[in-house]
Amino acid sequence: MRGVVRRDRAAFAALYDRTAPQLFGIALRILRQREEAEDVLQEAFVAVWDRAASFDPERGSVMTWLVTVLRHRAIDRRRRRAHLEDRLGSEEDLLALTAAASDESDRGAGLAALQKCLAELEERPRRAVLLAYAYGYTHEELAKRLSTPIGTVKSWVRRSLERLKRCLDG
Amino acid sequence: MNYRDPKLRDLLAGEYAMGLLPSRTRARFERLMADDAELARLVADWRERLAPIDDSAPPVTPPRRTWRAVEQGTLQRSFPATPPAGLLQSLAFWRGFAGAAAAVAAVLVLYIALGPGPARAPTVVAVLADSSGTPAFIATRGERAEEVAVAPVRPQSLEAQKSFELWAIAGGPPKPLGLVSATPGKPLLVPASAVAATGTVLAVSLEPEGGSPTGQPTGPVLFQGKVLAN
Repeated sequence: MRGVVRRDRAAFAALYDRTAPQLFGIALRILRQREEAEDVLQEAFVAVWDRAASFDPERGSVMTWLVTVLRHRAIDRRRRRAHLEDRLGSEEDLLALTAAASDESDRGAGLAALQKCLAELEERPRRAVLLAYAYGYTHEELAKRLSTPIGTVKSWVRRSLERLKRCLDG
Repeated sequence: MNYRDPKLRDLLAGEYAMGLLPSRTRARFERLMADDAELARLVADWRERLAPIDDSAPPVTPPRRTWRAVEQGTLQRSFPATPPAGLLQSLAFWRGFAGAAAAVAAVLVLYIALGPGPARAPTVVAVLADSSGTPAFIATRGERAEEVAVAPVRPQSLEAQKSFELWAIAGGPPKPLGLVSATPGKPLLVPASAVAATGTVLAVSLEPEGGSPTGQPTGPVLFQGKVLAN
């Protein structure tokens, strides 16, 4: 990352090679459309090149920063779609999160801890959290998808965040 | 909204990290965060808590063209989309003259005119002319020294299913530099090191769509010009 700040193109290419597949996977999950996911990935990396100097290692890992840059763009792009129905997918792989958690890598361990805390939530609030974070759903979309009033969905998410924090930090 | 209430701050930080804030609220929150290190810290903590969900997305290798687009997008930063108007007008004037001498003269005039100009003015690296000496493509150096932009000075006719490919020739076999557009406004950006040596010849050949399949020119060289001393 320091190389990228110095405008070292080889370092930038190496960063791309290392992180683009994971980021592309995240963008695809939110957008469910390859071309749009490619556009967002491209925009995100151009932004990373432009704003590399603003990366602050005190505030988290390079990957977390890259994900942030990418997710904001992917979510914006998703929200611009005209029809609500076009934005809702089937997301049957929500359950796949559980399978990934059994992975024994470090990252798998982090996911396992989060998964354990998610499991303590009730089913529908948990789905709301996962649909929002992993798939980029807005409150409105969550309400539609879960056939629940928007106010209820909002408080589900807030209560879930409080409980997740207690569980993860505790 | 009361941004001082610690509980609300943490919840908003969480919702921001989730990506749930509506665009306007998000913009306001980002402005607050810029001056509020503690708020930024709350967001960072939430990101770390939620990041494992990102790891659960199966990685997918993006197509090669995405990286090429990133490269072009980042190189583009140091170049205007089209050569400045002055440059085009001068070239339009000189276009009237046939013969290689006219092209060389045009280059010299431009070079002198732009040489000691403001730092942002692009420097002409080479002018590529057709067989009659009419300038067709121009290579310029932008604000940043490490890249050179190559673009036609006006739309060039190009048959369907064909591409213009740019080559650098400096003693050895021609080195491919990429496909160059037939219309102005979308310059091909090449590393300055590829055209660094004075006397290197830049050439554009006519190739099948997508470029030469062999890595060497397969079609006629339509335009060429020498890299100028600088």
